[in-house]
Amino acid sequence: MRRRLVLFWLPTVIILLVVLVPIIWMYLTAFKSPDDIFSMDVRKLVIFTPTLANFKRLFLDYPYLANLRNTAIIAVVSTALVMAVSVPAAYSFARWNTGSGHLLFVTISTRMFPGVVAALPFFFFFKHIGLLDTRLGLTLLYLYFNMSFATFLLFAFFREIPVELEQAAMVDGYGRLDVFRRVVFPLVRPGVIITTIFCLVWAWNEFFFAFIFTRAAARTATVMLSQFWGSLEIQYGPMAAGAALTILPTLIAAWFMQRYIIRGLTFGAVKG
Amino acid sequence: MSDFEDRAEVLPSPVRKRSFLEFLTSERNFKWALLIPLLVVLGVFMLYPLLYSAYYSLQAWGGSGPSTFVGLQNFRSVLHDKAFWMDLRWTFEALVICIGAELAIGLSIALLWNREFKGQNTVRGICLMPLLVAPLVLSLLWNFMLEYDFGFVNTLLDWIGFHRIYFWDPKIALFSICGLTIWQWFPFATFVFIAGLRSMPKDVFEAAKVDGASRWYTFRRLTLPMLAPLVMIVVMLRVMWLIRLFDPLYGTTRGGVSTELLDWLVYRTSFVYFDVGVGSTLALISLFLTLILCCILFRELMKAMGVIK
Repeated sequence: MRRRLVLFWLPTVIILLVVLVPIIWMYLTAFKSPDDIFSMDVRKLVIFTPTLANFKRLFLDYPYLANLRNTAIIAVVSTALVMAVSVPAAYSFARWNTGSGHLLFVTISTRMFPGVVAALPFFFFFKHIGLLDTRLGLTLLYLYFNMSFATFLLFAFFREIPVELEQAAMVDGYGRLDVFRRVVFPLVRPGVIITTIFCLVWAWNEFFFAFIFTRAAARTATVMLSQFWGSLEIQYGPMAAGAALTILPTLIAAWFMQRYIIRGLTFGAVKG
Repeated sequence: MSDFEDRAEVLPSPVRKRSFLEFLTSERNFKWALLIPLLVVLGVFMLYPLLYSAYYSLQAWGGSGPSTFVGLQNFRSVLHDKAFWMDLRWTFEALVICIGAELAIGLSIALLWNREFKGQNTVRGICLMPLLVAPLVLSLLWNFMLEYDFGFVNTLLDWIGFHRIYFWDPKIALFSICGLTIWQWFPFATFVFIAGLRSMPKDVFEAAKVDGASRWYTFRRLTLPMLAPLVMIVVMLRVMWLIRLFDPLYGTTRGGVSTELLDWLVYRTSFVYFDVGVGSTLALISLFLTLILCCILFRELMKAMGVIK
């Protein structure tokens, strides 16, 4: 019995350490002074005098807050647009099999397209109409980027609602719009919330499009962080502080969404 | 098509003038009305890039000035480009290493955790965290952790008494990148498999036990075949994400030291050299590779959801 417990908990604890230590180490580094960061002394990994200097520098010397604001605005607006497009579309696909699978396939295939396929054409198009380095431009790209994912995930949720419920409501004299508003939507609301959070997280984390389409005015937090690496003297302290702050919302989201993460990542095919 | 014909028969002369909303929510049109926004966005964001890439893959253009028609010259130069084949090979190597490792680690951990135990929600919550963290931030973090002089990993190695490792040596840099990708994604395979194991019918396993089947035999003949569809889904989704691996490269090697993957080559050609012709060609080739995959994956997903048999 004892041996079995050890055989179970020893690997479990090692796995947890492998996952947790890098994240914890980043949060510790965010509170370290440069001397402690560059120390080769192993004790300095955990024993040091915490300082808020990194955060102060991040906020005052770098446009971090402005860029984080861009990230937040773009994520929220693009997600709202995505849901406005995806919820009706997913309902149509799930309820009537519109386009007999072909349209749904076309939709999901855009998610699998390499980002570069869209990047080059839209770079010159946006340059032409002046959308480069604007929040609107990036928001539109994220609409395209997240729409197919959201539609497919919502499709999986809508499929779980029995048609009989809708038919019963129709018999009671509800119109199509009322059926959707009063019967279907309340049932699918958890799925909508989950999809919304996923879209927010993807938009928050996105780097490739943001990196190519924004320079200064609409620059997002990930792009700003990426610029630390490669500058002549890498400012590890502010970088760690910025990284720690940027991933905090997604860590919290992961914690509260743990039941649904697998479901979301497999486009609804596997119920975690 | 039949929709339009039907409508012509049913609506010869409306008795009263119908409002536009009624027209949209009528039994026949409602499902298409719901799709309008999606179709508009798809039309703009899918057709335009496709047509654009197809057009410029036949042109020589440096991003400004007039372009010239060169026929299939771009395709020829890509296929004769050593860098393209090298990158393709590295991409393939990264795919095999990452997916192989993730499946192996995922399956082992899934078997370990396939039971009810105290604190399982905490364990799951912690392990799922890396999945939702920005890959770029993680690559910066790992780049910092693997730093030769003061990085966490080397400090630790030094303390234990091992040699410090230079992780961005061209010989092992690709493995380092795979390593950090595996670190982020092994929970995905793990929890997909746990979901699969939990949903397996118990009676089959009990029957096997009664029949005196060994644990290894049960695993090989019952567990693995039942997990096969899930393995397929994991492999497909991972291929799809890995083939566009870009963020981890930007935070670490930036395509240097023998780690340039396909997506980085497209990026470099298009946005560093601004060779739009070759860039579009590469994008089309990359698209073609993913499209084949996409067809298979779509079928698997629909099967798993029970939409098709």
